[in-house]
Amino acid sequence: MLRETKGYKVVSEWLAQKGFHPFLFQEQTWQHILNNESGLVNAPTGCGKTFSVFLGAVIKFINDNPGGYLNKKTARHGLQLLWITPLRALAKDIGRAMEEVIDELGIGWKVGIRNGDTSIAERQKQKLQMPEVLIITPESLHLLLAQKGYETVFSSMQIIAVDEWHELIGSKRGVQVELAVSRIAGSRLSIGSRQSAVLSQQSSVNINGRPEELFQHQATDSPLTTHDSRLATDSPLTTHDSPLTTHHSPLTIHDSRLTTHQSSLSIWGISATIGNLDEAKEVLMSPLQIPGVIVKANMDKRIEIESIFPDEIEKYPWAGHLGIKLAHKLIPIIEQSRTTLIFINTRGMSETWYQTLLNICPDLAGSIALHHGSVDMELRTWVEENLHTGKLKAVVCTASLDLGVDFRPVESVIQVGSPKGVARFLQRAGRSGHSPDAVSKIYFLPTHSLELAEAAALKKAISEKVIESRQPMLLCYDVLIQYLNTLAISDGFLPEQVFAEIRKTYCYKHLSGDEWEQLLHFITAGGKALQQYDDYKKTEIEDGIYKIKSRRLALRHRLHIGTIVSEAMMKVRFISGGYVGVIEEYFISRLQSGDVFTLAGRNLEFVMIKEMTAYVRKSNSKKSIVPSWQGGRMPLSANLGKILRETLNSVSAELSPDSYRDVSKNSIPSGSILTTHNSPLTEELQVLQPLFELQERLSHVPKKNELLIEQIETKDGFHLFVYPFEGRLVHEAMAAILAYRISRIRPITFSFAMNDYGFELLSDQPVPVDDTNVYELFSPENLLSDIQRSVNSTEMARRKFRDVAVIGGLIFQGMPGEKKKARHLQASASLLFNVFSEYEPGNLLLRQSYQEVFDQQMEEVRLRDMLERIQQSKIILTFPERLTPFCFPVKVDSMREDISSERLEDRVKRMQMELE
Amino acid sequence: MSTYLSHIIGKDHLIMSAERTLFWENESALIVADLHVGKTGHFRKAGIGVPQQVYKDDLHRLLSQILFFKAQRLIIVGDLTHSVANKEMDLFRRWRKDFPSLDVHLVKGNHDILAEKWYGEADIHVSAEQFTLNNFLFVHDIMTKGIKAGKGQYIFAGHVHPGVSIRGRGRQSLSFPCFYFTKKHCVLPAFSRFTGTYRVEAKEGENVYAIIENEVVPL
Repeated sequence: MLRETKGYKVVSEWLAQKGFHPFLFQEQTWQHILNNESGLVNAPTGCGKTFSVFLGAVIKFINDNPGGYLNKKTARHGLQLLWITPLRALAKDIGRAMEEVIDELGIGWKVGIRNGDTSIAERQKQKLQMPEVLIITPESLHLLLAQKGYETVFSSMQIIAVDEWHELIGSKRGVQVELAVSRIAGSRLSIGSRQSAVLSQQSSVNINGRPEELFQHQATDSPLTTHDSRLATDSPLTTHDSPLTTHHSPLTIHDSRLTTHQSSLSIWGISATIGNLDEAKEVLMSPLQIPGVIVKANMDKRIEIESIFPDEIEKYPWAGHLGIKLAHKLIPIIEQSRTTLIFINTRGMSETWYQTLLNICPDLAGSIALHHGSVDMELRTWVEENLHTGKLKAVVCTASLDLGVDFRPVESVIQVGSPKGVARFLQRAGRSGHSPDAVSKIYFLPTHSLELAEAAALKKAISEKVIESRQPMLLCYDVLIQYLNTLAISDGFLPEQVFAEIRKTYCYKHLSGDEWEQLLHFITAGGKALQQYDDYKKTEIEDGIYKIKSRRLALRHRLHIGTIVSEAMMKVRFISGGYVGVIEEYFISRLQSGDVFTLAGRNLEFVMIKEMTAYVRKSNSKKSIVPSWQGGRMPLSANLGKILRETLNSVSAELSPDSYRDVSKNSIPSGSILTTHNSPLTEELQVLQPLFELQERLSHVPKKNELLIEQIETKDGFHLFVYPFEGRLVHEAMAAILAYRISRIRPITFSFAMNDYGFELLSDQPVPVDDTNVYELFSPENLLSDIQRSVNSTEMARRKFRDVAVIGGLIFQGMPGEKKKARHLQASASLLFNVFSEYEPGNLLLRQSYQEVFDQQMEEVRLRDMLERIQQSKIILTFPERLTPFCFPVKVDSMREDISSERLEDRVKRMQMELE
Repeated sequence: MSTYLSHIIGKDHLIMSAERTLFWENESALIVADLHVGKTGHFRKAGIGVPQQVYKDDLHRLLSQILFFKAQRLIIVGDLTHSVANKEMDLFRRWRKDFPSLDVHLVKGNHDILAEKWYGEADIHVSAEQFTLNNFLFVHDIMTKGIKAGKGQYIFAGHVHPGVSIRGRGRQSLSFPCFYFTKKHCVLPAFSRFTGTYRVEAKEGENVYAIIENEVVPL
């Protein structure tokens, strides 16, 4: 048992000296680690989740080396613990914390860091002698797999830890982790399996697709030592001069037949709470084909949520101006807390907020900073360091500070605008009050009054523990192509072996034999070709082994690994020299020379684009365009949408017909009848009463089993507003589908607008929607074909194709010292998309782009769920005489596109006055 | 709207084709720009698996156009080939042999970097910068320094791969290759379908003809 082991004694004594006592979940994890089990640790930040796995590895090491664990300069244990983290910035801090433990315990370990910032000299040193702990990003791990002889690096390894797995799981970087784990696990057996694969190749035995048999066979009847010696001479890929001692050490033999073959390798994920924790565990364990355990830290972090209320509730809310008006209310919060983080949803708005806070409270100058993904790395590091030391009073930030190590001085967190999801809100709340028993305090500042209902929904979701899932990505052909080429530049790969390995991963478990053949064909023959007139060269086959032999191609590929990009970013530099940050290509491409925009808190005048860099000069102009970034387009989560509908349900229940009639006779804001103490509604909803009462009077507040549709005629035309509360992406797709379906009843054209709560169709003629056809219009039947006919999925896929083509290696981004020649290799993603669409429509990367559009852009599953839900619910059609509080923000958003912001403000004010 | 559309300059009669060629009736000459022969091959040699079919299709389209117009002469205003020699260029030479009586004239473009010998063997007349026939002057890049049309001379060029954007509903816009005629010169669309476009905007007194699917559309 754990407590009797030497390792435990050493570690717990050390902890006791420091006055610490291990948490239950930590001890549980340690026990599982000693049992060579794998699993997922679920713990909030600030609860010692790092130590649950790290100290487990230390204890195990001490137990395995009771005599020789203490520091010896010459000790070479080989890599013991691989620590995968999504963020470069995290590596340094985690490494520091680990080193402290190692030094104080005096064990003979070194901690190494490997990521894009690691110097070549350091890499060389690591190649000669691997540190016992290596902290690495998914990309750098793949770069390690691109090194000749990489298998030996992992031969002594005991544990793979994947930190912040909840962040990785929904992304292609998560897929990179899955692939790397599958290879590492496979490599532990590869000496045997490679040989048998070679043998089976020679005797044309097809072992395709039955990996378990292969490994079972290996594990049970092969005396590995003899294999070893044979391989040293036989294998074309001899990289192993040392026998894999730990692998078949008698200590690790297990009773379970299934786990025997890789029992000494365990994998531990560390994850915050997400809705699909079991699935998250399954994805991570999948390459090892083991069930794994979940260890939960049952430490309910107390979270206190406080909404910041406007002095007066606007009954006609609109997004985008209220927040800033409330900025002065943040000053006392900032002053009272040691350090405050202010989370803003978009980088653009964070720039505005930073300026606004400085204008309101000039005293903050020097103690307030701005942190977002486009701010120069050096500046961001500076901000992070000063957060640690508590020198900053406040930091205005975006999702860029969602992750990462704890900043202990942070006492308060402010969320401005909808956090769009419960998980994100919790994560941000958790950035304050770090010690395990402290309360996390988060303030919610609405950017329009209806968002207060979201605050109520968030409170409800948190008390009911309803948290979003992160869906793992499936069948990413682009990442797989990149991975195969990666293996091809190091030691080469045997297709049967790698196919067996990747089929164990969650991402590729349904990869068909045909698709696999297509992928191999793509990397070896480049798809369709004109046989004798073709020069295609990439992966070659030699003795059954797939390799890239050209050094130039290998070098290019190495530079390519890690380009898992989210958006095409462009560097921004001063024309006089000096780097400002990065910005989306999409934004820059719309600017004209002379336009002024804001980045990193500075006003910049755009001059020109040259070689993927935007050149700017400083500007004193008062007016500037604030860039729009990806973050702003994040939709409301399905989860939060559902809770929001339930929240409105409670409002609707309170608004019995009698009560609102009473109120409507009086002047509305003064005598709201529901602000009594025995109201079951939260503070936020009580404050919103006047708005809800107006909504109910003009139209209706939908219950949770209702879908509200409003038809309103104004001088602009005939409006149809629908409120599914499903987030803007689903609304965008639904608007197009609905417009298409209505136009089949009668030819009619529409313009669309949408927000997270609902969408609008606007036409110059009456919209033929009534209770006879409305259920049919929202039918899930023929959804796919209607999507194809109505939504311009080709254009959406074209945009997705850019990323897919970059990862899949179709877009060559050039490399240093090769500029001129590389110019002949430039082709835009759009051009490639056209060429493939026309000449090779079955191409897997093209198919993937369309799939990504359906899954991510349109959230097809969610769209279908919504339609099925609507079929079960009651559709309420109302015909309000004028705009309602619910439709107003949608309407304003639709005006935003063609009006400058000041004129918009004027126009909205006029509209509000006319309506109220 | 049709696949072919004529444009008259003085006494000279020109026919634009949606296959991105321009036929000069008076001289029975087919004028094309930016063929970029070997471009797919160049990509493929670098391990980028672009479908070669696009190149095969380019050659086939060129063949059809020559036969359709019964052209005696082929004038290429630069960028016949894309980069250094590769096997795809051998296919072009084989293709060339099927038209022994066709007079092929190339005004060199920035991409035409093959050795002189290659052009000789392919039976292609090469002009380094410009080539004159009657009232027409052929160059690759209209912006090249030192190019000056004589009196009454009209210039034909390529190089920029001109395209026009047509705005659709919402914020969508699509871009199409086009013929771009100014008072003094004409810029031809790139012939190869494995080329992008550079947006041009017509000014007063200029004509732009977009190639949309199989039609030449005056804008």
